[in-house]
Amino acid sequence: MAANMNIVDLVKSYGSKTVVDEVSFEVPKGKVLSLIGPNGAGKSTVMGMISRLIAKDTGVIDFEGQDLSKWKSKELAKHLSILTQHNNIQMKLTVRELVAFGRFPYSGSRLTPEDNEMIDRAVAYMELEEFEDRYIDELSGGQRQRAYIAMVIAQDTDYILLDEPTNNLDIYHASNLMRIVRRLCDELGKTVILVLHEINYAAFYSDYICAFRDGKIAKFGAVSEVMTKECLKDIYNVDFEIINVHDKPLSVYY
Amino acid sequence: MNNSVTLQKPNRHKKNAVKLLILGVITVAAIVCYLLINSHPEKTKLFLYILGLRLPTLLCMVIASLSIGVATLIFQSIVNNRIVTPALLGMQSIYSFLHTAAVFVFGTGSILFVNQNVSFAVDLVLMGTVATFLYWYLFQKTGHNILYIMLIGTVLSSFFGSIQSAMVRVMDPNEYDALLSSLVADFNNVNGEIIIFSVAALAVLAIVLHKELKLLDVITMGRDQAINLGVDYDKAIRKLLFGVVLCMAVATATVGPVSFLGLIVANLSRQILKTYKHSHLIIGASLIGMIALIGGQLVSQHIFHFTVPVSTFVTIAGGVYFLYLLLRKKGAY
Repeated sequence: MAANMNIVDLVKSYGSKTVVDEVSFEVPKGKVLSLIGPNGAGKSTVMGMISRLIAKDTGVIDFEGQDLSKWKSKELAKHLSILTQHNNIQMKLTVRELVAFGRFPYSGSRLTPEDNEMIDRAVAYMELEEFEDRYIDELSGGQRQRAYIAMVIAQDTDYILLDEPTNNLDIYHASNLMRIVRRLCDELGKTVILVLHEINYAAFYSDYICAFRDGKIAKFGAVSEVMTKECLKDIYNVDFEIINVHDKPLSVYY
Repeated sequence: MNNSVTLQKPNRHKKNAVKLLILGVITVAAIVCYLLINSHPEKTKLFLYILGLRLPTLLCMVIASLSIGVATLIFQSIVNNRIVTPALLGMQSIYSFLHTAAVFVFGTGSILFVNQNVSFAVDLVLMGTVATFLYWYLFQKTGHNILYIMLIGTVLSSFFGSIQSAMVRVMDPNEYDALLSSLVADFNNVNGEIIIFSVAALAVLAIVLHKELKLLDVITMGRDQAINLGVDYDKAIRKLLFGVVLCMAVATATVGPVSFLGLIVANLSRQILKTYKHSHLIIGASLIGMIALIGGQLVSQHIFHFTVPVSTFVTIAGGVYFLYLLLRKKGAY
């Protein structure tokens, strides 16, 4: 299946303010793509539109040969998943039950044996076995985040979209999460798109970076192309130093 | 403590089946008590006469608890908040307003007031259409922002309330007396045809909302998650909210305004069943509602000899329970 996501001339305005202005790019399949940029640059809005959480004004989001808006919501949920930071669940839900919701697009609330197998695998993949029967609201932030990722894994979509997944996580959990993202791509062949504030996580763990500024794409390319002094200065308006660690360009700023 | 909680969890749903069964048994017991206490089964004619009086009241209470329980549960799950009730939408004030206006304009002698069927049909149609159009318009305007809607609902409540009290002020005292009886929830004077209408209305709603009800579990996870899991969120919310509005319309038109019942039954159901499955929660809420209403009716009938209406008990118990909900530790939600 030639799964592809191609974004052409995406525009979104709120009132007279254009927050996303004719953004076009192609999502590299089977890679990790990070969207970065300063606050208000439009990266989260772009994420919202390609995940159908926000309606676009004009433009085309071509997903597997069909515009995203033409997809049936339920069918799309088998191909593309989104995890945002607005997850406050008001009900008593165990980790396993949460992960089981990932199978909802396939089986509704009646789980088949295959579904249970997928859930087992997702729980095992995120090493959540010992928490399986704990309630979500009894978990720490890091564990909860892992439970949500497990749900996305159970949803088994080719495309996984994560909106600022490292927010509210300490360095330990954040870097763990980024390693998981890497594994999702390398081991399970997923295409992962992230919105990140931490430039260095983007630099170290992704394949491509799309940098936004003022609603437009400032730079799109492989990590090494974007992570240059000039380019970052241009995007953030802050002086950067670039150092190489493990052959990856990391930025220093102050 | 954590350990014991963890141990219980795997068979939580089996336990819930047992709990629902127990609730069901209590409900049946309450129904039997209600129908048979002081019914003189040895005198067949009297017995049948008493049954003929009690059956409509019973059905009425069943309809009210079903529709109020369902409406409140759906509404709470949509809003993602457990201490709201659809009463906040201001429908009860619309009901009071419409009734007062009818008496004010046409008088208590008019067919609108005297004929229960007409009055009920008018209630249902007027409330159904007013509510549907009003809320449809509000939802469109606010982009389905439910917090706004509730705020507007509260404003509407006092708006209609003020107009109503203005009309009441210039009303003939006798007419007001007659009016008052229709403004307090009452299960005693309902005739069979109204019940048939209500059942039909609820059945149609159940068929129309059949698909959306299955989405409720996912919708409770919030908009983003629901969309992620393939729910056509806006459409589902729209349909469910109309379901809520119409359920409330049926309940209010059948028995009059019952303010706290929904809050009590929905929360008790969540508290007892501790599950996210709406199929269980809805059955639980309906059963608890029936137990509360029929139990209240038993007390009202045999202890207070009809001097205190059921709705008084419901309101008192509801107020206390509401305070308890607000004051108990937040983590329990």
